[in-house]
Amino acid sequence: MKRAALVLTIIATMAAIPFAVSREAEAPITASGLSKHFEVGDDFQYEPPEPGTYDLVAVKSAPTGQVLDTSGAQRDLGTLLNGKISLVSFVYLTCGDINGCPLAMSTLFDIYETSLMIPGLGEDVQLVTISFDPERDTVDAINSFMLPFASDAEKDQKFDWHVLTTEGQKKLAPILEGFGQVVDRGSPDGQINHLLRMYLVDRDGAIRNIYGLGQIDPRLLMGDVETLLLSEQSS
Amino acid sequence: MNRREFGLLSATWLAAGLPTGLRADETCQSPYMPKITGHEEFVYVWTLGVEGMGDGQDKLVTVDVRPNSPTKGTVINSVSVGGRNEAHHGGFSADRRYFWAGGLDTNRIFIFDVHSDPSQPRLHKTIETFVEDSGGVVGPHTFFALPGRMLITGLSNSDDHGGRTALVEYNDDGDYLATYWMPTADDMRGAVAVDGAVADGYGYDIRALIRKNIMLTSSFTGWSNYMMDFGQMLQDPEAMQRFGNTIVQWDLHTRQPRKVFNVPGAPLEIRFPWGSNANYAFSSTALTSQLWLIYEDDAGEWQAKAVADIGNPADIPLPVDISIAADDQTLWVNSFMDGKTRLFDVSDPHNPKQVYEKVIGPQVNMVSQSWDGQRVYFTSSLLANWDKKGEDNAQYLKAYSWDGNELVEDFEIDFNALNLGRAHIMRFGSAALYA
Repeated sequence: MKRAALVLTIIATMAAIPFAVSREAEAPITASGLSKHFEVGDDFQYEPPEPGTYDLVAVKSAPTGQVLDTSGAQRDLGTLLNGKISLVSFVYLTCGDINGCPLAMSTLFDIYETSLMIPGLGEDVQLVTISFDPERDTVDAINSFMLPFASDAEKDQKFDWHVLTTEGQKKLAPILEGFGQVVDRGSPDGQINHLLRMYLVDRDGAIRNIYGLGQIDPRLLMGDVETLLLSEQSS
Repeated sequence: MNRREFGLLSATWLAAGLPTGLRADETCQSPYMPKITGHEEFVYVWTLGVEGMGDGQDKLVTVDVRPNSPTKGTVINSVSVGGRNEAHHGGFSADRRYFWAGGLDTNRIFIFDVHSDPSQPRLHKTIETFVEDSGGVVGPHTFFALPGRMLITGLSNSDDHGGRTALVEYNDDGDYLATYWMPTADDMRGAVAVDGAVADGYGYDIRALIRKNIMLTSSFTGWSNYMMDFGQMLQDPEAMQRFGNTIVQWDLHTRQPRKVFNVPGAPLEIRFPWGSNANYAFSSTALTSQLWLIYEDDAGEWQAKAVADIGNPADIPLPVDISIAADDQTLWVNSFMDGKTRLFDVSDPHNPKQVYEKVIGPQVNMVSQSWDGQRVYFTSSLLANWDKKGEDNAQYLKAYSWDGNELVEDFEIDFNALNLGRAHIMRFGSAALYA
């Protein structure tokens, strides 16, 4: 597929992905209502389970490691994850798989935008996206990518969205290994084969759920966030 | 910035090139898993050791099926695990890098690394604590991959070695996470019995339809039966009462049971189709020899009904493994006693029609087909104490090509002659998955 055609495909796909934010929801909402503010997508033909009615078992501890933020500052991943519920995803910015990184990023964007509807929830929840292509996704690259977010006048009322990279494969490998994010770099065209995964990490750094293709449903993701919040309230 | 602007922003970062490489597979695996849509390169056969035969140990046997390989159709690797465990079923992790295989008697779980060198799997880890971890579950059977985790059906329990059992969840590192007991009449765990079904708490297979958030489990029998001599069991009326008669519908996300369906006669394998609007699954019953459909009705409710006989049920052909084609149009159904495979046209899932049959051997159990349906593989063993005796105890892997009308044998490997043991479940491998 030629680049132009591929780009058009991605644009069309992202615009058509049906779980856009419901604009009918104008009434004030609470944290426990967050998952209900996404429309049902064609790929998700179910009513999500009611938050708080099920358990999210700790799968394992999220790894720590050194990452770089959009300013080039070194950050300790464990410290970054500590204290907030995090949706962690791994992408690379030149990904051409419409069922891969663009799908993840568009879903995260929906969640980011929707978070505006719940003032204050950003104190409890954040988005963390880590590149697994540090050679191409340099600090300058991720900074450029996030420029529109930096100038978002409402960003202080939304979730923090940390887009991160690493100094190189040595720093990256233990992070990928720790999460269980598989990446194969053998493709001659520069594409990186990977399985789409997202991770729900609690305030204590425990992975509480892992999502694959078919589960990148913002209703499900935020329902799980609500479930964690509700379990904190009851404990 | 709105969603479309964000889409444009993301698109500007796209480099030229093809989407993430094709990931492919046989047709009956966890949908979370990469698939082999091209030609499989290796067939891994989880094989029961036989006392006095070779090293007598259970082993993972690798057969080369690469079309132009000089060793095509031969055993190129064998990894013995140090004893006999009643080797039975197994499944890949969701990243397809590890193959988990269970022993129904010893409850050991063997995790093989199949990605470092797909032609030479090696034993990576053994879980010795399945019963203790799970709180008394016995008989790790189906290994169903979830992202980062493995969901395992049990067949039995350590209290009475009957059929009451549970689902057990581990993470990909092999660490225990949770146990979900099957609903019983005394403890429905929130499930509803449909049409007078009696929840028996039994387990066997597990499959899921992600876009419906549906998971189904079937029901077989406990340790006291599957470790008993088959002839002896048939003469034991009490033992013959100890078989499952239910399929349970679960919420996939929460692992909570929702409905219990009455499916009499030990429903075994469950297969969901792949079509984007195909809201049903097939199962076959071992004792009553019927094909069952579990389906979503027009009102959005899931139901279960028998849709076809498999052979003559009065002859008790004992249906075992089934395999659905990637286009959802046909279903291979094996029956152990008559050694036959039958092909059903399931284009109308409510009215399956048998369109072909062939005797594969004196006994046949598992069937696996390639993604394009052009290659079909069969193995022979059911359980060590249920396999036929004497000359009828043929143990093999047989490979056929399927042209739409006839199965034509490509090669056969005699597991008895090679002193390997009883050939059970097959799974496909390919180095292309890890490129």
